[in-house]
Amino acid sequence: MRKLHQILLPMLICFAPVTASAQAPGAQGGGSFRVQCPTATLLHPGSAANPTPAKSEASYSGPIYRTATKDPTGAYTFTPALTFLDHGGAIKCQEISGGDGMMTEADGNQTYMFSFGPLSGMGAIQNGQPGTEFPNVFNNPYTAGDSSGNYLSGNPNPFFDGTSPTDPLAPGANGALSDPSGIMNTGVLNGNIPAPLMAFDEDDEFLLTLSNVGMIMRPDLFEQHTVHFHGYPNASSFYDGVPDASLAINIGGSFTYYYVAPDAGTYFWHCHITPPEHLQMGMVGQLFVRPRQNRLQSGDNLFNRLAGCAVPPGSPTGTTVTCPARGVSTVVGQQSDLRTSCNPATDILCSAPIPVANTGATQPTGGAKYVYNDGDGSTAYDIDVPMQIHGFDPNFHFVGMTFNPEGFSDMKDKYFLLNGRSYPDTVGVAGGPADVLGQLASATNPDPVTHAISTNDTDSISRASQPLHSLITLSASGGHACAATVTVCGQKAALRFADLDVQEYQTLSSIGIPMLVVGFNAKILRDQAGNNLYIKTNSITLGGGESLDVILDSTGIAPGTYFLYTPQLDHLSNDAENFGGLMTEVVVIP
Amino acid sequence: MSYANTKNWCAVSRFLSVVAVALLLAASAHAAAPGIKGTAFNLNAGPTFSSQPDGVLVYSWGYGCTGGTPSPAVFAPPTIGTAQGANCPTVQLPGPTLIVTENTSFTVTLRNSLPAAAGNTSILFPGAATVTTSGTGPLGLLTREAVPGGTVTYTVTYSAPGTHEYYSGTQPDLQIEMGLFGAVVVLPSATPTGCTTSYPAGRIDYRLAPSAYDSPKSCYDREYLTQWSEMDPGIHRQVEDQLKLIASCPTTAGVQFSCPTALNVVTEPYHPRYFLINGRSMPDNMDPNYAPNYPNQPYAANPHMHPGELVLVRYMGQGHWQHPFHEHGNHVRILGRDGNLLLSQTDATQLAGRMEFNTDTTPGQADEGIFYWSGKGLGWDIFAHTNASATATATCTPDANGYYTSASGATPVSYDAAGGYLAGSQNYYEWCADHNHPLEANPIGTVGGGGPMTLPDPLIVADGLWYNGTPYLGPDAVLRSAGPTPMAPGKPGQNPTPESGIAFMWHSHNEREITTNDVFPGGMLQMMLVDPYVWHIDETF
Repeated sequence: MRKLHQILLPMLICFAPVTASAQAPGAQGGGSFRVQCPTATLLHPGSAANPTPAKSEASYSGPIYRTATKDPTGAYTFTPALTFLDHGGAIKCQEISGGDGMMTEADGNQTYMFSFGPLSGMGAIQNGQPGTEFPNVFNNPYTAGDSSGNYLSGNPNPFFDGTSPTDPLAPGANGALSDPSGIMNTGVLNGNIPAPLMAFDEDDEFLLTLSNVGMIMRPDLFEQHTVHFHGYPNASSFYDGVPDASLAINIGGSFTYYYVAPDAGTYFWHCHITPPEHLQMGMVGQLFVRPRQNRLQSGDNLFNRLAGCAVPPGSPTGTTVTCPARGVSTVVGQQSDLRTSCNPATDILCSAPIPVANTGATQPTGGAKYVYNDGDGSTAYDIDVPMQIHGFDPNFHFVGMTFNPEGFSDMKDKYFLLNGRSYPDTVGVAGGPADVLGQLASATNPDPVTHAISTNDTDSISRASQPLHSLITLSASGGHACAATVTVCGQKAALRFADLDVQEYQTLSSIGIPMLVVGFNAKILRDQAGNNLYIKTNSITLGGGESLDVILDSTGIAPGTYFLYTPQLDHLSNDAENFGGLMTEVVVIP
Repeated sequence: MSYANTKNWCAVSRFLSVVAVALLLAASAHAAAPGIKGTAFNLNAGPTFSSQPDGVLVYSWGYGCTGGTPSPAVFAPPTIGTAQGANCPTVQLPGPTLIVTENTSFTVTLRNSLPAAAGNTSILFPGAATVTTSGTGPLGLLTREAVPGGTVTYTVTYSAPGTHEYYSGTQPDLQIEMGLFGAVVVLPSATPTGCTTSYPAGRIDYRLAPSAYDSPKSCYDREYLTQWSEMDPGIHRQVEDQLKLIASCPTTAGVQFSCPTALNVVTEPYHPRYFLINGRSMPDNMDPNYAPNYPNQPYAANPHMHPGELVLVRYMGQGHWQHPFHEHGNHVRILGRDGNLLLSQTDATQLAGRMEFNTDTTPGQADEGIFYWSGKGLGWDIFAHTNASATATATCTPDANGYYTSASGATPVSYDAAGGYLAGSQNYYEWCADHNHPLEANPIGTVGGGGPMTLPDPLIVADGLWYNGTPYLGPDAVLRSAGPTPMAPGKPGQNPTPESGIAFMWHSHNEREITTNDVFPGGMLQMMLVDPYVWHIDETF
């Protein structure tokens, strides 16, 4: 590292003026950065389905018909009125930097990345949580800083008010950086692996602002970055992130991506500029969309609310709805709107067919979480576990760091990463349940508070680079989502797998706890007749660009430590270290 | 800073290579699933050179039509026939796609024109119900073979529709790597009820059949077939070098060593550097079927479709490796595998295949899926209509499925003989729930404001070659939303203004494979375009 620093320091000095001048032009005193996060939109103006879309989700009880004659600003009039079917949902925003950074491998090697870093939701991200925020948090100024009130770069944050930078709940730690100096002082070299986690709900509008802060370690490059929302059904080409088919943002500017949330499921996202290079270099992140079934009120019948096909309240006289097979014509539900319905007779690509029968499952008191709109409660779980599989070829990264064009056909991954870490760092939570020997008790990396692994960058500043551990802790008696015949419910984890490896297929096995595969490629495993086609297995295999949902159920599992590991034995290594790699632990506690 | 210059030069050369591609292609090129159809095929196995986009000609073997003519088989679909450039050289990569009908016996007579040192060759028809062989060649381990210069005849019947592979059953680790593989499409013997059997005036049918299987769930409007394979040029070089050595080895007396007479090629470790779809790497696969610049690689891979069209995707693995084929734009519903339609265990009228945004291509396996793109649920009007302006209005009456189609009063689009737009609804197949809903916060052109988004300043972005200049679909929308800073002249070369489609990338997501011998872009990559109905999709050009 010292050597690298010596090499790069003159370079940083050399290029600092270039970076500074990039901020200079423009009316607001810096570049073309522009962050977007409206508090009200035509789709979410604050109507009956969700009166406060800027700060909360509302419960779901089927669509409501609404019209609009003006946009929320009142500037534009629509004649005749625009029509909507409201399902609730809210406005969610997130901001990321596109640039570079360093990460720490499990053998201590520091590796250079092209990468995305958080520019909003930073307190949440550093605590391993999604950085997706409501406008009323996102639009707050970022008021955190180090003990001196400085940005990561060491320059003072004029908005500093003493907020802890790692507080996952403080609005000031999670607000977006929207001024150019804040973006540059924070975004440069703040790349994460995985890239910032995103999660939101069906029916939300999601605005993602990508600010290209440049790759300061590669001042010879003037590369754009983009965001590809991988797997979105009926995607917009404009917001698909493929530079050949759309626009790509240059250094010093922002591009805001816009989607109404797609069907619930486990997706992921990545840069689509020169994909074999930018993905291998680390520009890969995870994303999941929660189903509207999560938002049912307690006592609501899951089947009826999915199968319901009554005419939405408020609809014009004469409105009719065609009920699909097994539809429930007396309930307003997901079949009441063609956007959310699934009638296999008319749509070969619809998402969640109505299950074969009403199992009587209802929303429990206090709510529940489901992977999909299953209508039968079969995808219920207790904890979300993002699981990104990736691989790094240290040679490729070194060549990329040292101003050389990388070769593609000889690419060979030597580090195998789960959520950006290899074993044992995958479980490296100081004082956590896996710390049975106490050997991590005094660890400072991972950070004992945030659990993030930090890496010393070439400017001698340490930044949180790998916020997500992969230790799964399940209570064998603490679950609520299991069959009525079971006396003691164990907790269930939804493992949201996404493989972003660019080189080869990856397999992960579970020892001791069976895997239940309930979804593949962001769709529930269910045939068009409504039969669940879930797979009970002990291993899953994914190619690059694939996602899969596994439920791990701790019901009846003896307390102890279990393992998820790759049986591709050469992937159980950290470069020259022959034990590590693609492995993590599942700790079952009583 | 010499390193920097190197990298910049690389970036420039990459860009130039893309520009060169743009110049090569006058306009969009398309694909379909062309092949030869009949009950008697005369195939030839022989040597050729395959062209790669880095300029390298790789020595290869392939199947082709004996004598350079498919007769007695004919070209299919009939809309991509001899008049449209269809041909069948004596050797091609992949081999000719054989189009046959279920429960109808056909023959394949294979002539072995490989170099004598390559030895025998043969063809396997995995998935066929019956295969009988005849000929003077020996029975190899897997099937009857043709000796060098000899022939063998296979009589084959498939008992169900579907997509299959055919490939060499003799020393397959070498012969398949060298290119001895092809596809068989087995058509259903009858058309299920409900399939589209005729198109509106002016729209040309490029399908092989109205359905993939005997089920009405397998009806489709358009189809593409892709074969995924890799190439390790080191193996090909060994073969070429050894053949030269064998040919030039002196046989006269006094030579101090014995001349080799057979190939002895090391095929492992396997290290491919070319990643091919239908025998071509990107961008070559975007040139038309039967493009004269690839005389031995006739098949393209460049899908186009209109909104809402059911697009049958036939795909198969023909190499050593699996490839995760990522379809941008929407999911694919898997229909069947190796000629077996996947149906529900409790209701045989319902499909049970998965929906996938990544379909694994696996060596020796062929699958079909159905794809469409409709823009449903975007939340904004992709045709850029507004009811805040008198000039940008249009009708959108939803049919039973929510789209504006002939079922709800839309006028089907018709074309003149040259494929020019004559008349019809510009927004045919619009998703009506988002009709008139604005995307942009501020008006632009005659496109209304009031939406959630401000688009980036055109001066701080890079434009893509397939970008139509706006977020919208169709020339009407694109012209109405022209911004104050238009795209650079000639920029949307692959998607000109009269087309104004929206583009999606279909590619291997083991991203290393979208390169050609270390150069990006290349390899297993296609650009799929969703074109408005007013743009005539000509699969022959």
